Amino acid sequence: MDNHPPGLRLARYAMGTRFEAVLMGDDEVHLRAAGEAALDEIEFFDARLDLFKKDSFVCHLNRSAFDAPVRVDADFFDLLALCLRVSRASQGAFDITVGSLMECWGFHGGSLEEPRVEARARAMERVGFQQIELDEDARTIRFLKPGLRLDFGAVAKGFALDRAREILKDAGIRAALIHGGTSTIVAMGAPAGLPAWKIAIQDPEQDDAAIAYAELCDRTLSVSAPHGRSFRSQDRMWGHVMNTTEGGPAKEPLNLAAVVGTSAALADAWSTALVAAGAMQFDALMEAANKEMKPITALVGTTETEPVLSRLKGPEPELFIGPDGSSGTQES
Amino acid sequence: MMEYDLNRRDFVKMGAGMVSAIALSPSAVALMRPLESGEPLPVAVIGVGKQGRVILGELQKFPFVQIACVCDSNERRLKSAERRAKGTTGYSDYQELLDKEKGIKAVFLATPSHLHTEIAVAVMERGLHLYCEAPIATTIEDAKTIVLAAKNAKGLFHAGLQLRANPIYDLARSFVLSGAIQDVIALRAQYHHKSSGRVPAPDASQEREYNWSLYKESSIGLPGEVGIHSFDAINWFIRKRPLSVAGWGGIMLYDDGREIPDTVQCVLTYPDQVRLLFDATLANSFDGSYEQFTGTMGTVKMIGDLGWMFKEADAATQGWEVYAVRQHFHKEAGITLIANATKLAKQGKLKEGVGLEHPELYYGLQDFLAGIVESKTSTACPAMAALESTVIAIKTHEAVMSGKEIELRDEWFELG
Repeated sequence: MDNHPPGLRLARYAMGTRFEAVLMGDDEVHLRAAGEAALDEIEFFDARLDLFKKDSFVCHLNRSAFDAPVRVDADFFDLLALCLRVSRASQGAFDITVGSLMECWGFHGGSLEEPRVEARARAMERVGFQQIELDEDARTIRFLKPGLRLDFGAVAKGFALDRAREILKDAGIRAALIHGGTSTIVAMGAPAGLPAWKIAIQDPEQDDAAIAYAELCDRTLSVSAPHGRSFRSQDRMWGHVMNTTEGGPAKEPLNLAAVVGTSAALADAWSTALVAAGAMQFDALMEAANKEMKPITALVGTTETEPVLSRLKGPEPELFIGPDGSSGTQES
Repeated sequence: MMEYDLNRRDFVKMGAGMVSAIALSPSAVALMRPLESGEPLPVAVIGVGKQGRVILGELQKFPFVQIACVCDSNERRLKSAERRAKGTTGYSDYQELLDKEKGIKAVFLATPSHLHTEIAVAVMERGLHLYCEAPIATTIEDAKTIVLAAKNAKGLFHAGLQLRANPIYDLARSFVLSGAIQDVIALRAQYHHKSSGRVPAPDASQEREYNWSLYKESSIGLPGEVGIHSFDAINWFIRKRPLSVAGWGGIMLYDDGREIPDTVQCVLTYPDQVRLLFDATLANSFDGSYEQFTGTMGTVKMIGDLGWMFKEADAATQGWEVYAVRQHFHKEAGITLIANATKLAKQGKLKEGVGLEHPELYYGLQDFLAGIVESKTSTACPAMAALESTVIAIKTHEAVMSGKEIELRDEWFELG
């Protein structure tokens, strides 16, 4: 955000980053209570989804789901179902079973280096969204292979923010902005006197520049950029966005994917899928994404010679604006 | 930074006898075993606000538990709970639930504390097992009513003082009782969590109902809602209760019309000049929550799912300590307390034993459920313990609000 709108601001650390809520309204006492309830909700899900907290629900799941089906609550089941839908539509470009790969490549607290062939092969045996079985009637999840390691890192922020938005709605809040680490954003309504929340999307190649802006009113935005977390080896960068078919960091990831939609979890999942699958798959994935799920509009990174807004697809291109104010309406 | 000094080879060399000293408490090990039952257990959860929701979540981990019904006077919370617990029936009136649901065997009560009494008594009169959140009540009279009913009840009574069922606390207690830190000469506890504690009410007319914790008529403040757990754990460890309580408090940050201080400092005086210093605030999160037992030969510090023992320089070293997992904490190296250390050490997996596999609440629920499934006559968190800790919490809050030190009278702790 490149200016500071008025409104009550609250913040909390969760999911390894800083969540912030900006709330519009007159009754500061009520705004604070509502904002805290929303942040409490985020903390609640952080505890459930944190792979590094031994007592989290996801760790319990990873330990138990091969031995017997594990009961999950409605929210968790919806999250799993969403993740599997995106996995199928993206043909595995998004896959929550990447946990074993993340660990193998050192992104889970190990040393960041290329793993040996045997380690990679072992990790690959414990990967694959097809190994997850959901039972809607019993509301359970089961692993068909032992050793699966679910990692919700790519979608946790969006999921928590969707839930936080419901809390704010229930509390009667109509205009607010909540985000996690500035990379996943939920915009409710608009700040006073303006049509929308204006969000700057950071240029992945230059720290202080915006590559584009998104104008959001009752929309969510998720921005994925792989070299936020990465290491260099053998003359190339290995980012943290995994490609499960390659068995490691995606070889030719997009340097940026900014996805706008009405569900933050969906936007998170798709921004990851688009980055992992790379430039060649962009058109095909966008078609698949907009087929059977809530529609999304995505802007992805381009090469130096292509115009900034040229890789933009989806039903609401006008929500993106170039740094020079040019409209995002598609040219092709 | 963790220094992991024990590996399988070393263990085999030194022999099982020495490492067994690490796990003095067989009950701690028992608490870590998953509970199973062949028979389904239908239960009800009454009060599905914040705590009720957490209870619902943890109960899902016990496959034999069926959440047959839920109850809440608030429609929105009720609908939310019905969605969360598949197949459950929702009631807005607990009497109706108890009248209609003949098959349930146990009830989990998680309404606001000042509303427990009537419901708890009705549940116990029906012969059902009761898990009652702590503090069990907000007046001594109500607490005694509940505990008397529990004494005469057919079913089990278990208070939500879950630190007593926490395997790490159980293990740490055995160290303190065995004299590992020698004499406990001072005690500390704190609760620091920055959050206003105010809940958004749908409209102004429901504000006092939703924000019961902020008003004198319905709340026993921070000593009551959070202090009670520390007080109870400490009393359980040292096997003593305070003789008097004193406290001070103020509204330091949230001047929003509340009547209850957001920041308190309390002194609980035990026999032999031992004092507990307790401070709690909603205005700051630094250093979180913990209990600390200061002894003449060492210190035990407990932080939820982690516990450490810090030895004084002149304390004798036990053979096994050389091999223990140590963690650095504020420049001191403490021995990490690990609940099933013996078994893990044999597998060379001692480091993995740090922390607990489930949130604290789970172990309290497991203890209660084990009591039912295994037909026990008591639980780790029995009624008289709940009475004692609730009385102490009520009087500590009263001391804060009045600014006067209060001597704790024996008659408050007796049912007669």
